[in-house]
This record gives sequence, C-alpha cells and structure tokens, in this order.
Amino acid sequence: MFKPNILIALFFWLLSTSAAHAESLPSDLIWITNNDAPIWADLSAEKGGVFSSYMLAFPPTLRSVGPDSNNSFRSYINANQLGLTSFHPDSMEIIPQIATSWAYGKDRKTVFYKLNPNARWSDGESVTADDFLFTLDFMRSTHIQAPWYNNHYSTQITSVKKYDDHSISITGAVARPKDELHYYYGLAPTPKHFYKKLDTDFIKKHNWKIVPNTGPYQIGKINKGKQIEFIRKDNWWAKDNRYNLGRFNVNKVIIKVIRDPNIAYKHFEKGNLDSFTLVQPEFWHNKAKGKLFDNGYIEKFVFYNDKPRSSSGFFLNQDNEILKDKHIRVALAHALNFDRVIKTVLRGDYERLQTFHTGYGEYSNDSLKARNFDLDTANKILDSNGWETRGGDGIRIKGRQRLSLNLVYGSKEHNDRWSILKQDAIKAGIELNLKLQDSSSHYKTIMQKQHQITSLGWSTGFRPAFWQHFHSDNAHKPQTNNITNTDDKTMDDLIIQYRNEINKDKRIKLSKELASIIHESAAFIPDFNVPYTRGAHWRWLKLPEVPGSKTTGNLYSPFGDGGLFWIDNKQKIETKTARKSSTKYPVVNKVFDQYKVNS
Amino acid sequence: MNFLSPQGQRRLQKFKSLKRGYYSFVLMISLILLSLVAELFVNNRPLVVQYNDQIYFPTYGDILPGTIFGYDYQWETNYKKLESDFVKSQNGNWMIMPIVPFSPFENNFIEGEYPPYPPSISSKHYLGTDMAGRDILARLIYGFRIAILFSLLLLTVTYVIGVSLGAVMGYLGGTFDLVFQRIIEILSNVPILYIIMIVASIITPNFWTLALLLAAFSWMGLTWYMRTETYRENTREYVLAARAIGASNTRIMFKHILPNSVSILVTFFPFSVVSGITALTSLDYLGFGLPSPTPSWGELLQQGTSNLEYQWIAASAVAALSIVLTLVTFIGEAIREAFDPKKYSYYE
Repeated sequence: MFKPNILIALFFWLLSTSAAHAESLPSDLIWITNNDAPIWADLSAEKGGVFSSYMLAFPPTLRSVGPDSNNSFRSYINANQLGLTSFHPDSMEIIPQIATSWAYGKDRKTVFYKLNPNARWSDGESVTADDFLFTLDFMRSTHIQAPWYNNHYSTQITSVKKYDDHSISITGAVARPKDELHYYYGLAPTPKHFYKKLDTDFIKKHNWKIVPNTGPYQIGKINKGKQIEFIRKDNWWAKDNRYNLGRFNVNKVIIKVIRDPNIAYKHFEKGNLDSFTLVQPEFWHNKAKGKLFDNGYIEKFVFYNDKPRSSSGFFLNQDNEILKDKHIRVALAHALNFDRVIKTVLRGDYERLQTFHTGYGEYSNDSLKARNFDLDTANKILDSNGWETRGGDGIRIKGRQRLSLNLVYGSKEHNDRWSILKQDAIKAGIELNLKLQDSSSHYKTIMQKQHQITSLGWSTGFRPAFWQHFHSDNAHKPQTNNITNTDDKTMDDLIIQYRNEINKDKRIKLSKELASIIHESAAFIPDFNVPYTRGAHWRWLKLPEVPGSKTTGNLYSPFGDGGLFWIDNKQKIETKTARKSSTKYPVVNKVFDQYKVNS
Repeated sequence: MNFLSPQGQRRLQKFKSLKRGYYSFVLMISLILLSLVAELFVNNRPLVVQYNDQIYFPTYGDILPGTIFGYDYQWETNYKKLESDFVKSQNGNWMIMPIVPFSPFENNFIEGEYPPYPPSISSKHYLGTDMAGRDILARLIYGFRIAILFSLLLLTVTYVIGVSLGAVMGYLGGTFDLVFQRIIEILSNVPILYIIMIVASIITPNFWTLALLLAAFSWMGLTWYMRTETYRENTREYVLAARAIGASNTRIMFKHILPNSVSILVTFFPFSVVSGITALTSLDYLGFGLPSPTPSWGELLQQGTSNLEYQWIAASAVAALSIVLTLVTFIGEAIREAFDPKKYSYYE
C-alpha cells in the first residue's frame, strides 16, 4: 500500500530537483545590496553581561506556528529567525539580512535573492536554498494546524524557486510595490534538516523543541514555568555585517516569569531586572520615583516614536444575539466614556485612538474620528430600536432579554479603567459585566470566539491588514483573527481588491474606504493610543546617544531591530556599592522628541 | 432560655461571664446586622427626599430616574447634584444623605487631581479613596457584608455535608466508613486554592459558584471530628437505650447523637467563619475571586500592597481585617472555654 506512494513521491522529487536545476537566473537582473544606509547602533557598545527582563506568563508552547503559538513569547523566537531582508527602522528602506543582494523581476511579483553563503543555523548546518523551499512546504502543511499560515503561503506566495544552493526567487500571487514585495513575500528559512518530515504528531512533538535558528541568540536553559534564557552565539555568522555592528551586546538574556507587573517592578527596584517599561501611567507617576531616582541609580527615558499604532480597543462579537444589531454597537460606542478614563486614571497621558489603522501614514484614514461619549445619542438609538423599556435597576430590557454585556479582558491593571466605563454605560441602560481572565485563558476565549466584547490590542504591521481581521473567510470559526466575526460581502470584495492592487494610490484609496466601513460597522471601538514609549533602567544599562529609531516600540528590546543597549559591568558593581553608601549621581530624566508626531 | 438544656444554660452563663469574648460576640453580631442594612449608612442614594411636596425613599428598590426630579435624563438621579440644586433654588425641597454619601461602585474624581485621594473629613472620604477614586470606607463595609455572607453560606454548606457524612460514617462504620475515609483523604490532598484559580481563570466566578466550589473541597475537615464523636457517643447507654426501644437510625443520629456532639461544632464555628473570610480575601487578592468592581477586602489589599506609597489603602484593609479576625478569635476562645468538658462534663 505504501510502495506506490513512495515511488510517486520519489518521482516528483526527482522531477522537481531536476526542474530546479534546469533553470538559471535571468541575466538582465539589477542586483541591489544597500550596504551604505546609516547605522542606528552605537559602535562603541561593549559586549558582555547579562540582561534580565520578564514576561507575565510562561509560553504555552515554544512552537511558532499552530495552536496557542500566537503568544507574546513568539516575538522573541521570531526575532531570532532572520528573514532574507529587513527594513531600516528609520528610513524603512530594504537592508540585507540572510540575502546579500536582491533583484526585482519584470512581472513585479518576483524578487530574486542571493543568499549569504556564510549563513549558518545554530546547529552549524549551512542555510541553503532548500530551507527556503521547505518553508513553503512547512507553512502549507495541514499538520501545523495554522489555517492563517496555510492560506497565506498558498494564496499569497505562489512559488519559491531554487537556482543553485544560494540563489532563489520568490513569486507572489499579485504584483505589488517593490518594498511591499519584501514585506509580504519575504520568507524566513525553515531548517529542513531539523524537521525532516511533517506528520500528524507535529503539534505535540514540537511543543517544547528548540528549533535551530539564524539570529544572534538561541534559547539556552529553560526552567519550565519560571524562566527562559537566550544565549548569544559566540561565533554568529552575521556578527560583522554592517547593520549588526554595535548591536546584540549582552551575552545572555534572561526572561523570567513574573506574573504580576507590580511584583516585577519590585524586582526592578531591587536590581533583579535591568530595565522596566513604564508606559502605564500608574507606574510612571506613582511608582517611578523616590530615592533610587533622586540618587541617580535609575534613569528615566521618554521616547516619542512615529510608527503604526496597535489596533487597540473593544472588539464586539457580531455573532452574539445582542451585538449583531448594528444599532446596539453604535449605541455602545457612544456609551463608553473613554475620555473620562484618560482624564482620570490614565492621568491624561494617553490619547484616544481614532481608527483601527492609525499611524500607517497615507494608508490611514485620518478623517475618521472614534465615536465620542454621547449619552443622548446612545439613548436615542436604543430608544428607537426596541430597547425603550428600562428595568427597575435602570438597565434596558427587550422582552425577556436584558441589555447586559460581558467584557472579557486579560489584565487586572485594567480593572479601574473598565469600572469607570461601567459606571457611565449604566446611564445608557447598558450593563457591562467585567470578566477578568488570566491572560492565556483570555486569549483562548477570544480565539474560540466565545466572547461578547473583549478588550485587546493587535500588534502592528507594515501596511494595514484587513483580510485576517475582517474577511468572511475568517469569520465564525475558531483560531482566526476575525474576532468581531465580520462577514460582509462588500467588504470581502474590497479586501481582495486591496490585496491585489498594485497601484499605490488606488491601494491607499481602498484602504481608506475599508477604514470607513470598519468605522461604520462599529464592531471595533478604539480605546487608547500611546504616542511614545517610556521606561526606566539602572544606570549600568547604556543606550546610544539617540536611544532608538523612529519605529522603536521598546527601548529595551534585546532582539529584532533593537539590541542597541549594553551593560556596563563596572558601573554595575559601582552602583551597587554606591547604593550601600548612599552616594549620589546626577538625576537623569530625558525626553527624546525628534520623532514626535504633531497631531 | 428554657429551650436550652441545663448543661447548655450553664455553658451560656459561662460564655457570658467571659467578658472579652462575650462583648466581641455582641460587637460582631451588631456589625453583621448593621452591614445587612449598610445602604442606610453608606450610599449615594439619600435616605429621604422631599421634592415638590412629595416624599421619596430612594434607598431600597428601583432607581429613580432623573425625570422624577425635573432633569431630562432617564438614568439614576445624580443626588449630589440634586442636593446642591436644592440648596441653590431654596424652594423648600430637602434631602437627608447617609453618613457616608458614596456607593462602593462610584468613582469620584476631584477636578485637577488624580486618585487616590487621602482621607479627609471635608470631602467625606473618611478613609480616603482607592486608585480608581472609590470611597474606601464604603468598599470596606460592603466588602465586609459580602465576605461575612459568603463565609456563612460556605459554613452552612460545609457543616451540612460534613456533619451528616461524618455522623453516618461514625454510626455505620464498616465498609461505608472505610470507603469514605479514603475518599476524604484523597479530597483533602487536593490543593483547593489552585483548583479555584484554575477554574477562575477559565470562567469568571460569581458569589454562588465561588462559594459552592470552595465548599466542595472544604467539607472534609469536619467529618473526622464528627465521625470520632459519633463513634464515641454510639456506645453510650442512652444510644443503646434509644436503639432498644426501636428508634430509627436517623432518629438516633440526629435526635440523640448530634445534640450531644454539638460542642465540637460550636467550637469550630468561629474558626470556620475566619477561614471563609480569609479564603475569599486571598482569592480576591490574587485576582481569582469575585469579579471587579465587586467591593472586596482582598482587592483593596491588593491595591494597597501594589501602591504602598498611598498608605491609607493598605492600612484600612489591614486594620479592618485584623479587627474582624481578632474579634472572631476572641469569640472562639470564649466558646471553647465555655464548652470545656474539663470543667463542665456530665458523665453518669
């Protein structure tokens, strides 16, 4: 029974390899290297030392695909899997990573890449064209149980061709502007020698496997439930590449599990953590003060950035009996007093987010404004849509149904914000039940689409992405990002048009049109926007003169386009002795506003 | 006091004579009773409003929408605004606000200042506010009510299960006893707090589910005492006599043995109350208890410990918790002494 299959597979394998060898690179390509863009790191950075950071929960898996993999820890793993090229964080121009040079095909769908022959996996194997071919097989496999990837790598990327061991081309489904070709069709290699053959047991088998990677760090010791260490590779193949100079300086990055940010902050004050991101006002204003700051042991930084903003807000499940009525959603948007939250518990530090895609430059529809708190409008809408009766407690009723909605969220730091909203929503006759869940169960609830309303912030992309959040292909089924269950034919058409459009102006127009429809449907209620990142670190942690780039979201990011800081071990010892003798250093409280967006 | 046996009467007298315990008991009971009508003391609704020759009692019952008092909104009247409007208009309307004019849910913000606000007589936040501008005293009092009711509910359920099962085990003995002993041993080794945390992270528990969940894993303790007690009483002459005249098993167990084992149950009573309160508080503290914004001591304690720079938050919660727990301990002590068989045992 198996024999014919093997034979057929062998036949196709022979066919495919011989076919690949048959082709050679087109001769009229113009190869680009871009080895002269400015460096954003500090070349005088010292190597060495240990950097300690924390995460709120231990990752449910180390896989970067499949169920439960879309957790915050994945960003650490993915940041150490280099792609072919990357974006310069200031100018957004293309800079080399595994590819040394690239060229564009005439069809405007294909990019050719020459791979760096020195590129190595962490286990010493060299990175070859086959690993890129394998990425496609891997991502298309049903065994990885990742419908989004399955779809993306089947419909968006049509083929990956090998010309020799270190030359490939990638062809996407539709023609796109040049920089977008890299963003949408760029691949990271997948270690073929490691996975060998994918099988039905993939998910279970690879839950805790450490996959060979190409980046500066690899996972070292794992203390399950407690901490994960990343060790810097001694002889990393790309360490002398122009854009990596002065970066990835610490020898070891320890990420500890500390389930409560308040406790984590105490660890920071004790010096167990080197830095602490203090975007939350409660932390910045109430905690980050006192002797440690006055004596200059800990330094404070505010860094304004200019980058796509997280699509953060309330997502309303349109499969819900009550929320499927658009009027209710609009009324709810008018009944939520986000401005009051900003003015009170957030101390005026945040701004109201206006649209789903903010900060995407021309692609954002800045004419749209989030629905403001307006009880009259909310009440009028509800009165005229069958919810005119109020119960004895002031909550509206329709037949035997109460206008009572559950808000699930995953951070107890948000308790105060949402309880303020709850108070004002009652005035519109809407009861908002706050359901706090542990962050991983919160994520599960959303992915199972079992929520009514959830508070969440999506991470950002290069261009506005609509398909994953709003296309009906992803509605009414678990494990997709369409958590509003948006199912709208007109939108579907526009999303596909947007995806396939190559003309930039038309694309921008489509993006704005889609933004208006999203606004119109009111399934997403934007909450807050933070136009900066800020934090504090012990004085032994050193940052370059300009501590980040235009798109820096976290000054203390050890990987990705970060890794700019370094640890001054001498100062570390010095500071620790100074603390005992209460020696003072100058207070450091810096604001960097060169990238500030004037709104 | 005729319903008490002579022995019971003596115990009661002894209890009364132990002043510290007795007054703690009186104080505790009054606190509980007062907390049941907390709406009369701590509320953002007035006790009485006279408006245009009509008298309203808004404390209990449905909300009174603003339209009743001449405003144009359908939601609950803002009584603080109404009060100041009454003062301004001077047309004979008046209202009486409770001593603490805040509900435990309402966020009060002072223009230009950020919460938490420190204790102050003039703002009527006698213990200050928490991080979201809610009155701490109001949250303490309502939190106490919830905690004590929770604890009593938990206690009732665990006692009913624990006592009846323990009695049956002791009375029947044999295989039934053996099997249940093992079941109880297994159940007692289940870490309750963890179980609740796991469940709470999946569903957001409410008052009832949390109480039943806790009860399901905490009835075992009492069974051991009840079982031994029943074993002992079972061999006494009065039980034999009851059996000889043909009393049914149920009757013997509940009419004869149980009243004679009551001392054990009563001695445990205060400590069970304490453990109920502590369980709820610690769950709330960890964020696995009742959902926000339910007033709760644990949640206050959590806010206080994460914001130690605002001492009044943690101080209020810790003081309240210590006072109640000390009172209960005093009561427990007195009860134990009153029931001490070394002084008052009657073996014939």
